[in-house]
Amino acid sequence: MSFRGWYPLALSRDIAPGTSTGTRVHGSEFVIWRDDKGGAHVWEDRCPHRGMKLSFGFVRGDHIACLYHGWQYDTAGQCRYIPAHPDLTVPKTIKVPRFSVAEAGGVIWGCFSEEDDDAPPAPKLPVAAAALRSIFADCPAPLLVERVGLLDVEGLTPDVSTIDDRILEVRLGGNTLIACVQPVADKESALHIVAMEELDAAQMKPLALWAEELRRDAESFARKAAIREIAA
Amino acid sequence: MNRESVIFKFSGRLDADSFIAFARHRATRLDLPLAVLTSDNGQVALAVGGQPDLVDAFDMACSLGPNDCIVLDVEREPAPEALLESRNEGMGQ
Repeated sequence: MSFRGWYPLALSRDIAPGTSTGTRVHGSEFVIWRDDKGGAHVWEDRCPHRGMKLSFGFVRGDHIACLYHGWQYDTAGQCRYIPAHPDLTVPKTIKVPRFSVAEAGGVIWGCFSEEDDDAPPAPKLPVAAAALRSIFADCPAPLLVERVGLLDVEGLTPDVSTIDDRILEVRLGGNTLIACVQPVADKESALHIVAMEELDAAQMKPLALWAEELRRDAESFARKAAIREIAA
Repeated sequence: MNRESVIFKFSGRLDADSFIAFARHRATRLDLPLAVLTSDNGQVALAVGGQPDLVDAFDMACSLGPNDCIVLDVEREPAPEALLESRNEGMGQ
């Protein structure tokens, strides 16, 4: 794996207990799943048996089961049960690579590193009052970050401070948002956005619309840049 | 826990180095001790031991083999446990 450190992967609110979803960081695939006690897990999104994505699987209690042949893995990533061989003592070598996980500021973070590395400290963010939304854009993450500070929608102009290269503080229309940047792939990115103040649905709506407009703006900008590149 | 030790003789159009590397990887994944008994580009003989279901899984995996090998025939016979103990290469290689 060519990247290291903590990356935001999803809004905590969006991964309910007993569910799983797939995501990517710099093109590498990961499953995020939450057990029935509320613990979040970030693993390689690949069953060691036949390579099926575990994000398509089912969470049952504190196990996730592969959709394909039902192999079940505990929270340590260890395969515990193979339905086709119910009497088998599953070898300890059948294990899914997993990564450190933290929940900070209403966002699930995964820490990617070699197994021998010590994980750096998890990001420290204030407790978010409200999860706004995640947006996924077909554009590189640096472009999406750049457009956050440049987009003016109907006079709603953001004031952006960079906390670090994956966390932005965005003051927008009297609200403070925290936007966490996920580089999904070379030309794909995501922002997981939370609000620092309590917001009701009516207050959230214009902020959510601003986020949608940000996605459209960044994608449009990326398309025009691609056309300019061809034309040059 | 049941155990069995088996000698496999895989024959076909085999690149011995590639086939043995593949077999070692699968044996490691299945936590099976493995010994390479003989090898040339027509036949590779291996001994493995462990739970019968895992030995069967090893049989199936090696029957398919790596991309650059075509396995045409597999012979399987019981192996004396002492053979594997004396020739075991260990796991995780």
